[in-house]
Amino acid sequence: MNQASSIRAQTIFMSPAVLVATLIVLPPLLYVFYTSVHGPVFSLAAYGEILTSTLFRQTLVTTLIIAGLSSFLSSILGFVVALHLARQSARRRAMLMLVVLLPFWTSILVKCFAFTIILGREGIINNVLSWIFNTKVELPLVLNLVGLLVGMTNFLVPLVVLPVLASLLAIDNALYRAASIMGAKPARIFWTVTLPLSLPGVFAALLSVFVMSLGAFVIPGLLGGPKDQMLSNLVDFYNREVLDWHKAAAISVVLFGIVFIAGGPLALWRRRKV
Amino acid sequence: MLSSIHDPQSQRYCAIGTALAVAIYSFLLAPIVVTVPMAFGPTNALSFPPTSYSLDLFTIFFNSPSWLGSLLESLKIALATTTVSMLAGVPAGYWIARHEFVGKGLVTIIIMSPLVIPTIVTGLGLYLYLSYLRLAGTTLSIVLGHVMVTVPYVVVMVIAGVNKLDRNLEFGAELMGAGPIRMFVTVVIPQLVPSLVSAAFFAFLLSFDEVIISWFLASPSTVTLPVKMYSALQWELSPVIAAVSTLMTGLSLLVCIVTIALKKSTPTDV
Repeated sequence: MNQASSIRAQTIFMSPAVLVATLIVLPPLLYVFYTSVHGPVFSLAAYGEILTSTLFRQTLVTTLIIAGLSSFLSSILGFVVALHLARQSARRRAMLMLVVLLPFWTSILVKCFAFTIILGREGIINNVLSWIFNTKVELPLVLNLVGLLVGMTNFLVPLVVLPVLASLLAIDNALYRAASIMGAKPARIFWTVTLPLSLPGVFAALLSVFVMSLGAFVIPGLLGGPKDQMLSNLVDFYNREVLDWHKAAAISVVLFGIVFIAGGPLALWRRRKV
Repeated sequence: MLSSIHDPQSQRYCAIGTALAVAIYSFLLAPIVVTVPMAFGPTNALSFPPTSYSLDLFTIFFNSPSWLGSLLESLKIALATTTVSMLAGVPAGYWIARHEFVGKGLVTIIIMSPLVIPTIVTGLGLYLYLSYLRLAGTTLSIVLGHVMVTVPYVVVMVIAGVNKLDRNLEFGAELMGAGPIRMFVTVVIPQLVPSLVSAAFFAFLLSFDEVIISWFLASPSTVTLPVKMYSALQWELSPVIAAVSTLMTGLSLLVCIVTIALKKSTPTDV
């Protein structure tokens, strides 16, 4: 292949994607930054306003807390599932993977609807409890932090299981055999072999679901209460209700910045590993 | 892997681990297990388990112009999004996987960026940008928004598929005098069919399920099924939503089965 025909082929192969990148991907991102600094006349007023706003600061704290809690919870649950999957035969593992993959593919709206039904005041859990204790039980399980964490965890667990399972399966079986020949009991094997060797994978998964949950919008909107709204919901509020696009854009930029700071180490760490 | 150990302690650990895992599996499956039976329940109230079974909720759904309209709008958008994202993503994924070129890093980062940037940021950006172009609220604007999200997944899946191919076949075709396009069409594409089918199904599902970007861009004439469902969930809990959920879950199940059938050999891949 000579140089001219190679360049021609490259143009043909890459130009649709380059068009997408330059016409669809890049402009919206630049537009958010542009709008956040007040259009034609440069001004950081929107940032000043949101930084002095109690609503914004509270939402920021809520966002970090909810993202932290839900990624922590889902990492523990995901680790248990990955450990169980790793101990199955390849055939059974493939079958059980369906149980993880199907929720992974299920629409987030379906999950939110289902948890409204399961956790609601007249929901399945309260009905079962009422039946057991033979009295009316109406635990507030949804439209508050509980419902939100249940929904977030359900969404995030499959995202933890897949990378953690890969890191568990990558552990050399000879290490287990060696440890057990040397007389280590299963608990000891777990603490000295399985856990330390899979921990980097768990941390990477934890960080990536943390980054992902920072931008949550649908779950806090449908399963959380008024106090559990996250930065994404605030962006929607300023865009849709207040019609203050400068503030909506400034909040988006702040959210982008947090994701960038939290995700940066992850990207670097992955690159070094490759 | 611990099969050689049979002391009671290890069995107790295994039993506790299995019990915990089963509890988590049930938690993961609960949303599907709950919504599907309700979709076949009575039309007057949401109760689980349903008191009687029928297809009434589906009949209501398909007879309601607004629900049916949003389903058709979603299907139309998902089909257009899949087509555009395959046309852009497949050749690019192949070229990125096989060639080094000036600006490769930059182009790749820009194309992939929607994978890591919160959807709300891209959603607001698309709304501002497409409003400026006077496109916001049109079907085209939603397709463009969805393409932004689906292209990176198509590119990633094509790169993974190309990396598994035997490169010697391409070298062979080149030696025999095939140009890059002919080689791509006659040698690469046929080998890539499984990856391409799962990429297309995945793009379709992503677009069909996409809420946030559609929520920002939708106008009364372009309400997709997820947008209609999101606003329905905010205001009223109609039993019809159970039927909608079941339709959406059915599509997810289909995509899940297709993907697994195509990747039988490597069950740990997504």
